Amino acid sequence: MEQEMFNQRTDLSQLNQAVAQIRQQLGKIIVGQTETIDLLIAGLLANGHLLLEGVPGVAKTLSAKLVAKSIAATFSRIQFTPDLMPSDVLGTAVFSPKTAEFQFRQGPIFGNIILVDEINRAPAKTQSALFEAMEERQVTVDGHTYKLEEPFMVLATQNPVEQEGTYRLPEAQLDRFLFKVEIKYPSLEEEIAILEQQHQQDTRLQLAEVKPVLDVAQILALRATIKSLFVEPKLLAYAAQIVHETRQNKALYLGASPRASLALVNSAKAMAAMAGRDFVTPDDIIKVAVPVLAHRVMLSPEKEMEGLTTSDIIGQIIKKIEVPR
Amino acid sequence: MRLLLLVIVLFFSVNLQAQQALKPVVAKPVKDTLVLKLDSSKTQIRKFDNQAIQKLKTEKEFQYGEEESERLSWWERFWSAFWRWIGKLFASDEQSSGSSIWPTILKYGAMVVFVVLVTLAVFKLAGIDLKLFAGKSKSVEVPYDESLENIHEISFDDEIENALQHHNYRLAVRLLYLRTLKILSDREIIDWQPNKTNLAYVREVENEKGYEQFPQLTYQFEYIWYGDFKIDKSTYDTLQESFQQFNETVK
Repeated sequence: MEQEMFNQRTDLSQLNQAVAQIRQQLGKIIVGQTETIDLLIAGLLANGHLLLEGVPGVAKTLSAKLVAKSIAATFSRIQFTPDLMPSDVLGTAVFSPKTAEFQFRQGPIFGNIILVDEINRAPAKTQSALFEAMEERQVTVDGHTYKLEEPFMVLATQNPVEQEGTYRLPEAQLDRFLFKVEIKYPSLEEEIAILEQQHQQDTRLQLAEVKPVLDVAQILALRATIKSLFVEPKLLAYAAQIVHETRQNKALYLGASPRASLALVNSAKAMAAMAGRDFVTPDDIIKVAVPVLAHRVMLSPEKEMEGLTTSDIIGQIIKKIEVPR
Repeated sequence: MRLLLLVIVLFFSVNLQAQQALKPVVAKPVKDTLVLKLDSSKTQIRKFDNQAIQKLKTEKEFQYGEEESERLSWWERFWSAFWRWIGKLFASDEQSSGSSIWPTILKYGAMVVFVVLVTLAVFKLAGIDLKLFAGKSKSVEVPYDESLENIHEISFDDEIENALQHHNYRLAVRLLYLRTLKILSDREIIDWQPNKTNLAYVREVENEKGYEQFPQLTYQFEYIWYGDFKIDKSTYDTLQESFQQFNETVK
């Protein structure tokens, strides 16, 4: 009856097919982690950068590689180390004896999908090299600005900040990540399934078998479709109210930015599209609220000492605000 | 410059002379003899003259206690009494009367209370949240904003009639859905909370028999309300019938 009553205004069939294929590709290697996989796909479709956080050995890098491999686009990997320099990321001017001129040699940031492994192993100086690239999709070196090709997506992995030899990312950089996806330990059942599936397999060979399901043009088209989805004005106000409350809440030392409001709405649209809808519901906003906001806000010292997390506070804020209906 | 040089030369020469004047002192050997002399004088024990002490105590010049002047204000007298009490409290145990343990308990109890009160006052002044020491609190600190619409106060029949008169079928469907939520809440089938989404209510009834139609009605409401799908009179009538049937099932 719904199909007769509600004729589909936006064709989401290609998107749903692509999402199913990416899920299938990732599911070949990653066991469980359905929420993580959904967030990875939503981030890709919402034109955002993703920060994957987890303790060593929970397949952060593998997940990022799988997302990258599911798209037929150029892929770069940068291993962040304490002695990495900004020029190692962006590129540098090299003197050419033939032309007797300096020529710009592009760094690994010039690609479509950039895997920044262990991003918090490098100090803030090197991390800040990513600021312009991540937000403005361009790189400025020696007074020249070089546009980055679309789609441009940074998939960064990091160990939790408490781990040895890590630095906290600058707030300005954290704000540029659409989601912080926390990859947790698998459940016992999942771990058994991982062992059954992987103990006789070579992950490198499995990774080689993963085929791209989307090309650059398709990705750009899907992103445009998602951007055009409808959001009821009351839901825009609901998203804004959640973000606004992060600035009023006494448990938070630093609230979320207007960029966070946009990120919340755009990622909720991606979630809606993945659910086959061309409009957003409050559930879509709630589903992405913690991954979008938790890394952009800072706890007050008292709440930090109480053992609360930013995710707890975002959860409390959501419970305070009436769902528009 | 010359004068300076002269002063430096003189200084060092004096110092040199002083050093030259020093000769090593060699201790003379002492005879290894020990002579013990015993004190044979008689010890005389002297005692205080209590009468003289009491007499001296009566004299004003020897009364060193703080004089309670009548000219002191009540505030000064209060603090004077307070500090005397504190002084007694913290006096040594020997001065406390009797062998009872209670004075000691009272003394240390008062000390603990005093320290706690001072700490609380300092924390309050510093603006430190005292719940810090109460462990992890998950409570919601800020109450809900005043709900603009309370489903228990809406006159649904009138409002739906009003919406239909204005051909606002979208709003009418919304009111139908809210009425269904109210009925479910009244029957205690769902726990109505302003912060809950429709999906939360769907999950509350999904394992219950007789409410299979509710997810369908929720789906339709969401398409019309959040999705801004336009509906006409005939579609509204169909939906209204579905809601009516479900509500009768619940009742």
